[in-house]
Amino acid sequence: MEDLAAFERLVCKNASDFHYMKICLVLEKGRRNVEAAQFKQLMISGLRQLYGEVGAALPFDVLKFDPSTLTGMVRVCNSSLVKLWSAITLIGSYQNELCAFRVTQVSPFLIALSGNSRKLELD
Amino acid sequence: MSPELERCSRNLLICEKSNFRDERARYDIHVSKHFFNYKLSMVIPECASLPACIAGVIQTFSSYYRVRDLPVYKFLQEDILQKVVKNGHFYALSYNTRIDEDNTIAFLPSGHLIMSVNKDTYEQLGLEGKPSQYTHRKVQRYVVNVDLTDKSMTPGAKTYQRLITSLKEWVPLKSDFLISMKMTAEDDGGALQTLLSQYSFEEYRPTLQTHTLKETPCPSLHSSNLHGDEKSCDAHRFLEWLGAVSMDISCNNEASSFLSTYVCPEPWSSMSQGLLCTVTGFLIPEDIHSLLLELRHYFDQPKFTSWLSITVHGFADSPVSWGMTEHGFLKGGENFYNFVCFENQDYWLHMATGSHDGCPP
Repeated sequence: MEDLAAFERLVCKNASDFHYMKICLVLEKGRRNVEAAQFKQLMISGLRQLYGEVGAALPFDVLKFDPSTLTGMVRVCNSSLVKLWSAITLIGSYQNELCAFRVTQVSPFLIALSGNSRKLELD
Repeated sequence: MSPELERCSRNLLICEKSNFRDERARYDIHVSKHFFNYKLSMVIPECASLPACIAGVIQTFSSYYRVRDLPVYKFLQEDILQKVVKNGHFYALSYNTRIDEDNTIAFLPSGHLIMSVNKDTYEQLGLEGKPSQYTHRKVQRYVVNVDLTDKSMTPGAKTYQRLITSLKEWVPLKSDFLISMKMTAEDDGGALQTLLSQYSFEEYRPTLQTHTLKETPCPSLHSSNLHGDEKSCDAHRFLEWLGAVSMDISCNNEASSFLSTYVCPEPWSSMSQGLLCTVTGFLIPEDIHSLLLELRHYFDQPKFTSWLSITVHGFADSPVSWGMTEHGFLKGGENFYNFVCFENQDYWLHMATGSHDGCPP
């Protein structure tokens, strides 16, 4: 009989290098054409305002952007999460129009963002 | 910049490797103890459409009910308590209640009633509970755990009467509930129907969605290597890739790209097509277990892939994650597990929780 795989168990604490955020941009006058690159540029400008040039250089990825809902999936290193979150919270205008970033989900696991049980609508 | 800014709340990922045929494997216990499941998603590489046998098992998944404004004490009436709550396959979770704001109530199949309530409600209830493990300096939330199978909870007993009085008269707690029950030969759910018919309720079927992945890079996995090396990808990178394919995130980016530098973890090979299948609803562990059994048989016939994966997400607002381990929300409330089933019946099991959660079993 072939050998069965030996049991093995690993416990990883804080082993993920990244955090993932689902972020929505809300504009005062409703939706309009915003491209993924403009979305990222706006976030970088927020980082520059709050943390200066060093902040603007923080690496993060916009994994996906949906222009119809202005919602993006962002990947950021653990050490930059608080800085990015605080910077985008303080962004108040986009091209002379009032705006706000709403962080809808945050997780150290990208797969956790593929569903949101708080959005389970049954009606 | 202050080092405080670089800290993150803790998260846990447990990775297990074993074989389904190993008698000591505990995978079935881990599945059965994760009571409240919101969504499952399967990724089957080199597969064009959902195999009929797997679709057949999903068809047999239990229906669930959403009932409005149901008082909690109604579950504790003698008839319901004996025939429904204590039958061993009954699941109920308050719906649209947030674990970090509202009172959340759950009935576990083990016959336990768990109420995660705020300080005011707790004081008015007058029931014995414990402060939540995840509160700040001042306790704002309490967890009341009542074992309904205990002798003192037989209808007529003093403790039982006290529970009824506090839930009926002192604090008439009511909420919308999601309810599901595995029907057994002895019980056809008649008692549950009688209870539901007194309130406004709807019946739902779990929703199935399938999606075909085309020309996607796919990481190479070797069942014997859980740690990841040059031949096989590690757990975190694999889960990240699974998340990327589930959300249709591009895995082909240049390192110099402005928007995203995410790429499929090395080593990878190109998958000409793959199947992504998701089921959403109030899914009970018995059904997930039967699906897992079917997935194990997927490799009975030769296939082009050596593995497939199934991920099960728990409700973010459930008061428990695995067994009776307290669960909280903080930033995301994530609690999920993932199986990678290999063709030689080896499996990897990943179990993950966020900051306000105990260690998975």
